[in-house]
Amino acid sequence: MSFSMEEDEFFGEKVFQHYCAEFIKHSQQIGDGWEWRTSKDCSDGYMCKTHFQIKSGTLVSHPETSAHAQTCLPMEEALESPLDDSEVTETDTATEVIKYEYHVVYSCSYQVPVLYFRASFLDGKPLALKDIWERVHECYKTRLLQGPWDTITQQEHPILGQPFFVLHPCKTSEFMTPVFKSSQKTNRNFNYITSWLSIVGPAVGLNLPLSYARAASWDE
Amino acid sequence: MTDDKDVLRDVWFGRIPTCFTLYQDEITEREAEPYYLLLPRVSYLTLVTDKVKKHFQKVMRQEDISEIWFEYEGTPLKWHYPIGLLFDLLASSSALPWNITVHFKSFPEKDLLHCPSKDVIEAHFMSCVKEADALKHKSQVINEMQKKDHKQLWMGLQNDRFDQFWAINRKLMEYPAEENGFRYIPFRIYQTTTERPFIQKLFRPMAADGQLHTLGDLLKEVCPSAIAPEDGERKNQVMIHGIEPMLETPLQWLSEHLSYPDNFLHISIIPQPTD
Repeated sequence: MSFSMEEDEFFGEKVFQHYCAEFIKHSQQIGDGWEWRTSKDCSDGYMCKTHFQIKSGTLVSHPETSAHAQTCLPMEEALESPLDDSEVTETDTATEVIKYEYHVVYSCSYQVPVLYFRASFLDGKPLALKDIWERVHECYKTRLLQGPWDTITQQEHPILGQPFFVLHPCKTSEFMTPVFKSSQKTNRNFNYITSWLSIVGPAVGLNLPLSYARAASWDE
Repeated sequence: MTDDKDVLRDVWFGRIPTCFTLYQDEITEREAEPYYLLLPRVSYLTLVTDKVKKHFQKVMRQEDISEIWFEYEGTPLKWHYPIGLLFDLLASSSALPWNITVHFKSFPEKDLLHCPSKDVIEAHFMSCVKEADALKHKSQVINEMQKKDHKQLWMGLQNDRFDQFWAINRKLMEYPAEENGFRYIPFRIYQTTTERPFIQKLFRPMAADGQLHTLGDLLKEVCPSAIAPEDGERKNQVMIHGIEPMLETPLQWLSEHLSYPDNFLHISIIPQPTD
């Protein structure tokens, strides 16, 4: 499927919706949890995913292990590998469950997708931006500081009207244009959303399984 | 005949007489008197209410004070919306003064953005200005400006300096000689009856044949329920800066003269008042 590549319409709303639909198709195949939501009053919509992160802190009294071990596991992994009772002597367990929400919304002003996100504890208490940053893996923190965006700020979600954190979109086309151009040269099927999300997502705790990349190269 | 430039001054200097009352459940050491203030329509609540905050904090203990927030008839007021927009949308059919309730606890996290400092207001304001220029000029004009010009826009707004502000803003209102207007018009349409906070879409100031689009054309295209039915009684008012412009007004003219300092046309659709 080819789209008009006039500069004016490079990434119009329909193109955005098409790439999201393809992305969600793959997400459904692997159970990655992304879904499309439409706003009640309008034909446009956004892509969203909710996931729960368990962070368990256990103080281990076994002499050979470090005194303080903390693991941060996605929920599915935590359930698959239960702790062996004989390995761990728990003196104190603080289990923290955080609900993360990620929304991919189209910006008609900049004609790019924008990542909105928020996090809260199970009791509904929201995490402040610094709390979210603390929970981002070290290697991504470096990327975040070097990243092609000015800041993360709190903004109103344009469809829901609620406070979310946002990666500012004004530099998106700057880093996406080379990606798009090189994909044209190699003649691979290209999904803008997959490429874009794989760049911006990890900086804020959102990871994409590699199978998305393989899916993007399938013939349609 | 009034000069078009006079409209710019009238818009800038618009004021709303407001009465601030402390929420009854706030803990005070003595009775808190209401505080009266003329609010600039084109500014933001958290930018112009330092005196309000000081007034009420005088009768409270430090430990009972956390982030200030404002509410009108049970609705938390979004400080990141211009004051004039909030008033037109929520309170224009009520008698003056505008009665706003002041809170210092139980910040509504689900409804309001935090405003920990003036820097946050500046960042929000500049972000809107940049977005408007992305629509009008593909960001060319705003990006060509120096940081000090951006600063001057903000300082002009913060210090209520019309000339200082417009010395820079006039560049954002220009367009190439060969064009008849901006690329797209920065606008947002607000209605309290919808779940969505506002409608914003790409809309050109003129049609393919060169005819200037009007306010009526815009509404018909992006919000047809606002002005239906065409004959008989109109159910809604279409309000900008407290007035109802004629629907025949060219959108390009409205964008140049009735935009807020953030360069957006913030348009309220409200039910006709029942006198």
